[in-house]
Amino acid sequence: MITLKVNGESHELDVSPEMPLLWALRDRLHLTGTKFGCGKAMCGACTVHINGQAARSCSIMVGEAAGKTITTIEAVSGKVAEAVTQAWQRLDVVQCGYCQSGQIMSAIVLLTGNKTPTDEDIDLSMEGNICRCGTYVRIRHAIHEAAKSLA
Amino acid sequence: MRIWGSRVSFTTFAVTLILAATAVALSSTGAARTQPSLADDQTASLAAWDQIAEVLQHPRCLNCHQLNSPLQGDSRRVHIPRVVRGPDDQGVGAMRCGNCHNSMGNNPTSGTPGGLDWKLAPVSMLWQGLSSGDLCRAVKDPKHNGNRDGAALIRHMEDEPLVLYGWNPGKSREPVPIPHEKVVEYMKIWVAGGMACPN
Repeated sequence: MITLKVNGESHELDVSPEMPLLWALRDRLHLTGTKFGCGKAMCGACTVHINGQAARSCSIMVGEAAGKTITTIEAVSGKVAEAVTQAWQRLDVVQCGYCQSGQIMSAIVLLTGNKTPTDEDIDLSMEGNICRCGTYVRIRHAIHEAAKSLA
Repeated sequence: MRIWGSRVSFTTFAVTLILAATAVALSSTGAARTQPSLADDQTASLAAWDQIAEVLQHPRCLNCHQLNSPLQGDSRRVHIPRVVRGPDDQGVGAMRCGNCHNSMGNNPTSGTPGGLDWKLAPVSMLWQGLSSGDLCRAVKDPKHNGNRDGAALIRHMEDEPLVLYGWNPGKSREPVPIPHEKVVEYMKIWVAGGMACPN
């Protein structure tokens, strides 16, 4: 049995330690806000927080995440998360929306560690989150807006 | 044969090893008191370095001994997605090495490689673009090798987890083509012969 601490609750799962965390989140715990995109850490749709870092849950294995603090899009909270989600809504960032939970998870990590990100900081930090609709300009704008609201 | 590098260097190396082994055997049995000369040791050291260089310049090693961004794959293309070194050699913001690379090892499902303490080699250990001779001098220089002496360099090749990853890269990545135990032998010969470097 492997213990996963997800969104403040502990879950005992009878799964292989090599199972991708995303499988456990979506298929065992039914937390489907985190999306499957490429399955090999190339698109960022599956981004969650593990001990506050923007982990790609399709590539991080259950055994790696065991015992650590895992947060998914369903349970993000706090000032930074509020600033990001409000900016997202205010600027209507989302197009199709499939990648957006991953985008928001990465943006929260960026702004948690960097209160005044430059465009280059945003590019370097958000590089791993692909948007097929091309909402990058709005994403960048929303991150700047969120930073202003946190100042 | 790519595995053993050029035939010339392998032949030179093999002959040197046989000569050195014969000298040691004769000496240890007392049949003759001839000691391997300093020149023999240096020749063996140099031949061993040829093999070591082939390992260190292999994508499994060289891809992460880069200045700002690692390379990726056997083709040595730039890492996708783009990642940068950052202040602790492990990336920046939401793009840190451990976000995708598992410390417990390769992920058989996603194909993402992994290993303990996955990160870029320190800036002091840049190997990109170095000739075999320059690489050799960098590897034996304590200022560029993590302050390691010969014995520590051997141990590093013997049991450092990120070094061992080179022989178990997972998925379709090519492992380091010379067996690990042979590389450790070459390291011992290279160090014993004074860590000789080509010009």
